[in-house]
Amino acid sequence: MTMELFAVFLGSSIRLAMPLLLAAVGELVSERAGVLNMSLEGMMLAGAFGGAVGSWATGSPTLGLFIGVLTALPVAALQAFLTNTLRANQIVTGIGLNILVLGSTTLAYREIFGARSREAIPGFPVWSPPLLGDIPIFGEAVFRQIWLVYAAIVIVVAIALILRCTAIGITLKAAGEDPRTLERAGLSVIRVRYGVILFTGLLAALAGTFLSIGDIHTFTEGMTNGAGYLAIAAVIFGNWGVGRTVLACFVFGSATALQFQLPAMGLDVPNALLIMMPYLLAFLAVAGVVGRQTAPRALASPYWG
Amino acid sequence: MNARTLVSPGLAIPVLAAVAACLAGTLLVLALGFSLGDALSSFVDGTIGSHYALAVSLNRSVVYALVGLGFILANRAGLTNVGGEGQIAMGGMVAAAVALHHGVAALPFGLAFLLPLSAATLAGAAWGGLAGVLKARVGTNEVISTLLLSFIAVWLVYGSVQSVALLRQPMTSGATLPESLPVPDATQLPLLTGDAASPVTIGLPLAVVLAIGMAILLTRSRFGFQLRAVGLNPVAATRAGFAFASTVVVAMAIAGAFGGLAGGVMLLGEQFSLKAGFSSGYGYDGLVVGLLARGSVTGVVAAALLFGFLRSGGISMEMGAGVPTALVMVMQGLIVVAVAGAAFWLDRRGSRS
Amino acid sequence: MNATPALSPAHVSQRGALLLGLSGLTKRFGAFTALSAVDIAFHAGEIHCLLGENGAGKSTLCNLVFGVHAPDAGTMTLHGAPYRPAGPRDALTAGIAMVHQHFSLVEDMSVVDNLMLGRVRGVLDRRGWAARLDALGTRYGLELAPFARVGDLSIGERQRVEIVKCLMREPRLLILDEPTAVLLPDEIASLLAVCRRVAAEGAAVILVTHKLAEIREAADRATVLRQGQVVATSDAPSTEINRLVKAMIRRDLEGLDATTAATLGLEDESAVAAPAVHARPDGPDILQIDGVSLRDSDGALRLDALTLTLRAGEIVGLAGVEGNGQSELGLLLAGLDTPTGGRLVMDGQDLTGRTPSDFTAAGIGIVPEDRHRVGAIADMNVAENMFLNRTRAFTRFGLLQRRAMHDAGAELMRRFDVRATGPDARFGGLSGGNQQKAVLARELTAPGLRFLLAAQPTRGLDVGAVEAVYGLIREASARGIAVLLISSELDEVLAVAHRVAVIYRGRIVGERPSRPDQREAIGAMMAGHA
Repeated sequence: MTMELFAVFLGSSIRLAMPLLLAAVGELVSERAGVLNMSLEGMMLAGAFGGAVGSWATGSPTLGLFIGVLTALPVAALQAFLTNTLRANQIVTGIGLNILVLGSTTLAYREIFGARSREAIPGFPVWSPPLLGDIPIFGEAVFRQIWLVYAAIVIVVAIALILRCTAIGITLKAAGEDPRTLERAGLSVIRVRYGVILFTGLLAALAGTFLSIGDIHTFTEGMTNGAGYLAIAAVIFGNWGVGRTVLACFVFGSATALQFQLPAMGLDVPNALLIMMPYLLAFLAVAGVVGRQTAPRALASPYWG
Repeated sequence: MNARTLVSPGLAIPVLAAVAACLAGTLLVLALGFSLGDALSSFVDGTIGSHYALAVSLNRSVVYALVGLGFILANRAGLTNVGGEGQIAMGGMVAAAVALHHGVAALPFGLAFLLPLSAATLAGAAWGGLAGVLKARVGTNEVISTLLLSFIAVWLVYGSVQSVALLRQPMTSGATLPESLPVPDATQLPLLTGDAASPVTIGLPLAVVLAIGMAILLTRSRFGFQLRAVGLNPVAATRAGFAFASTVVVAMAIAGAFGGLAGGVMLLGEQFSLKAGFSSGYGYDGLVVGLLARGSVTGVVAAALLFGFLRSGGISMEMGAGVPTALVMVMQGLIVVAVAGAAFWLDRRGSRS
Repeated sequence: MNATPALSPAHVSQRGALLLGLSGLTKRFGAFTALSAVDIAFHAGEIHCLLGENGAGKSTLCNLVFGVHAPDAGTMTLHGAPYRPAGPRDALTAGIAMVHQHFSLVEDMSVVDNLMLGRVRGVLDRRGWAARLDALGTRYGLELAPFARVGDLSIGERQRVEIVKCLMREPRLLILDEPTAVLLPDEIASLLAVCRRVAAEGAAVILVTHKLAEIREAADRATVLRQGQVVATSDAPSTEINRLVKAMIRRDLEGLDATTAATLGLEDESAVAAPAVHARPDGPDILQIDGVSLRDSDGALRLDALTLTLRAGEIVGLAGVEGNGQSELGLLLAGLDTPTGGRLVMDGQDLTGRTPSDFTAAGIGIVPEDRHRVGAIADMNVAENMFLNRTRAFTRFGLLQRRAMHDAGAELMRRFDVRATGPDARFGGLSGGNQQKAVLARELTAPGLRFLLAAQPTRGLDVGAVEAVYGLIREASARGIAVLLISSELDEVLAVAHRVAVIYRGRIVGERPSRPDQREAIGAMMAGHA
C-alpha cells in the first residue's frame, strides 16, 4: 500500500467509524446503567432523517443537526418510558421502535420529498485544524473532516473521564450492577435510567445526522442499515469499556473502508466478507473467542423497586 | 431477559393493539391525503380480491407462522430467538444450493423437493443451534448472538450470489445477474390446487400440521414440561434432571429449524431463485408474530394471518393507491410497542408476589 | 408517648426524648396485611429490639421508616414533626440510616466508591474519603482497606462496610435489619458494641433480631410483632425473655419440642428441657466426601480437600459461618457443580462428574439452602414441583399424564401436611413452611433414598414449620438414611445432629460430639482457631 492510499484509507476509516463511535459510546453509557437500547438503530435513523429534513428546510446544517436531535429524542423518551415506567422488555421494545421509526421515516420522507428524492441537502463543510492539516499527504486525507468528527473525539474523551472520575461514573455503575443498592443510597434508578437513555438518544442523533448531512448529504430510506446494531456489537466487543469500544468502532470502520480500498489495490477479497466482518468480529467476541465478556450484572433487566 | 413477559396468556391486549393499529393506519391514510376508498379497495384486491391474491397472502402467512412457532417454542425455554431472518436466509440458500445440485431434480417420490426442504430445515437448525451452543457453553446472550448471526447469514447469501463459483448464475450472453439460476420445476413445492392461478403450496397444510403438533408438544408433552421448567428456573430444572445445556441447544435448534424450513418454503414455493436480500424482513415480521402470540399457538396462527394479509394488502395499496407500504410497517411497530408496554399490566401480579 | 424513666441497664449512659413515633401504622400488600395499626415509640440514646417470627412485619416496619414503602394508614413523627418519607432519600436526609438484611453494596466497586455512592457530586475525592474512613474506623474499631474491591471482602468485612456507610452519615436513627445472621460470635459482639456506642452518643438504634442472646446483651427496650401487630413490649427485655418468646410464638414453652426450644436459644430457661444427647448410630458408610476441592471461575479455592464420611442413620451437623464453602458443598452434592479435585462416593459408586439425575438415582436427596433458586420452580404448581424429578413416571408415549400427577400430588400433600388450596396451587404462593414441606415430601419419597442433604432447612420458617422439619429429618434418620445438616445456627446443629463437623475456609477443621458443653470449642473452630 502506498503512503497516499494508506492516508486515504485512514481518513475514510475515521469517517466511517465516527457515527459508530458516537452511537456506541452513547449506548455504552446506557448499558453501564443497565439499559440495552436495541432502539439505537431507530434513534440513529430518526436523527439522520431529522437532520436531513432540517438542513434541507432551513438551509443550515447546524440547525439540521439540532432538528435531528429533536427528532431522535422522542424515540429515546418512548424507549425510556416503556422500559422504565412500564418495565417492558428492553429488547422487544427496541425492536418495535426500530420498525416504527423505519416505517415512519420512510413514510414521512416520501411525503416531504416525494418525487424530489435524491435532492442535494446542505451538509457540513470540512475543516482542517491548523498545523495538522498541513502535514504532507496525511494532512489532506486524514485531517480534512467536518467539525462533528473533532467534537466526537472530545465527547468520547469527556465521557471516559466522567465514567472514571466522577460521581456520575459510580452512580451509573451502581445502576447497572446493583440497582437496589443505588436506590438505597437515596438515588432513583428510574431517573438515572431515563437520563442515560435520553443521553444515548442525543448521541445516536448526532451519529445519525453524521450519516445524512455529514457524510453523503442525502437521506435514503433505512439509511442506517444496521449501523445501530453494529454500534451495540462494538460495545459488546469492547467489553463495556470505553477504550476497547472505541477500538472496536475503528476496527469496524476500517473493515468497511477496506471495501473501497482493496479493489483499488487490485486485491480480490469478496465484498460480502468485508461487509460481514464487523458482525463476524462481534460474534467471535460474544462467542468468547476474544476473552471473557462481563456485562453489567443488571443489564436489560427492568427495575421493579 | 424476563421470560415471563413473553409467555403468559392474555390475548386481549394484542387484539386491542392490532385494532388500534388498524385505526391508526386508517387515520394515516387520510392524513396523508390518500383516498380511503381507493386504499381500501386496493387493500381488498391484494388480500382476498382474487384467488391469486389470497394464495399469495396465505403463503406469506405460512412463513410468518413457521418463524413464530419456532419463536414461541424457544421462548418457552426462556430464550428469545431474534434470528429468524438469518435462519430463513440460511434455509433459502441451502435449499437453492441443494435444489440446483446436479441430479436432485431427477429424484423420485417427491424427494426432489423434500430433499432441499429438509436441507433447508437442517441449515436453519444448525444456525439456531449454534446460538444455543454458545448460550449453553459460554453463556452468550442468545438475543445478541442470533441477531449477529442474522446479519452474517444475510451477507453470506449476498456473497453466495456474487460469485459464479458459488450460486451466481453462469454467464449467459455476456451478462449475469447477481442471483442464482431458478430451481428446476421438479424441486418446486407442489401447489395444492395444481393451478398456477391459485398458487397455495403444500406449505400451508404443512404449517397447519406443525402448528397442531406444536400445540400438543407445548401443552401436553414431557418435553414441553421440560422447556417450561428450564425457562422458569434453569437451576431447579437442572437439579431435577432436565439438563440445561441440551435443552437450550435443542430448543434453539428447533426454533432455527422452523426458520430454515420457512426459508426453504419461500425459495421453493415462491421465489425460485436466490437473490441478495432474499429474506427481506420476513424473519423480523415472524419475530413480531411470535412476540404477539404471547406463547400461544393460536396466537401465532392469528398473528401470522393478520400480518400476512396486512403485508399483502400494504403492497397492493402501494401499487393501486400509491400508499407507501411503510404504512404497514408503522402499524406493525405500533403493535409491538403497545404489546410490549402492556405486558406491565399482564405481568405485574406475578412479579410482585 | 414520651420518654419512660428508669429501668435502664447499666451500660446505657443516657435516655433521650422521643425520636420517632409510629402511630396506627398499617401496610397492606394486596390482600395481605403486613402491618396493622402499629404504635411504637423509639427514643434517642436507646437500643430498641424488634422481635418476631418470619413474616411478622419487622422488615416491613423498617422499610416504612426508611421510605422504601409508604404506609396505607397511620402516621410517623420524627422529633415531634410529621414524617412522611417519599423514598430512601428523604429518610437519609432526615438522619435515618439502615443496614439491610441483604447487603446493599456494589460488589464490583471499591470500598470508598461504595461509601461515596449517593453522597457526593462532581469529581470524586477518593483520597479524602479514604482518610474519613480511616478516622471513623479508629473511632469505632472498624478497620477497612479503602481501595479493596467489595466483592473480594469476607462477609464480616462487608457487614463492616455497611455499618461504616451508615455511620458516615452520622445518623440520628440507625436501623439494623437482622445484621448478625451472617456473623461470627466475636463479630457479633463487636457489632453490638458499635450499637451501644452509637446509642451512647445519643442516636436511637432499632435492632431487628430473633437471637435472644442479643436481646439479653444489648436491648434497652423490646417490641414483639406477630402477624403485623404489636403483641408485647418490654422496658427491661433482658429480664423478660420468656414472656417475649411466648408472645412471639404464641404458645406456652412447656409444650415446645426440646430441639426447637434449644434452637430458639432458650436452653438456659428452666421452662424447657435440655435437648437429648444423641448417640452416633453404628451403620455402614453411605456417603464419602473424599478430599473434595473446588476452585471457582476466579481461581479462588472454595473447598479445600474436604473429607467427611456419613453412616447410615446418622445425622451429621456441618457447623460454620456462612460463606466458608457450605453453599459450594451443597451444589456439589446436588450434582450442580463438579469438584476440581477429590471424589464423591456413594455406596462405593463414584459419582464425581456425574449428572444430577445420576445423583438422584444413586439415592441422594437434596433440601437446598436456596429453595427458590434450586429447590423448586415458583411459577409451577405444587404437584409439578413435587414430581419435578420424577416426570418420567407420569409419561406415556412422551405425553404427561396430568390427572395422575395431580392425584399423586394431592396424596403427598396429605401425607406431609402441605397446606395449599390444592395440587394446582402456584408453588410460589405457599408460605415458606409449606414450600419446605413440599420439597421434603419430594426428596423423602424418592425411591432408593440413602442420603439427605438438608442445607439451612429451617431458615425463615416459623416455629410450627421448624418443628415439622426436625420431625421429618429425625424420621429419615430412623429409616437408616444418612443426613447432612448444614446450618449456620450452632444451636440448631447441636440440637439435631449426632455429631458436629466444623467447616472453615472450605476445610473440615474439626469434629465434636453434639453436646451443649462443646459449644465453645465449636465456636472457636468456626472462627478458625482450631
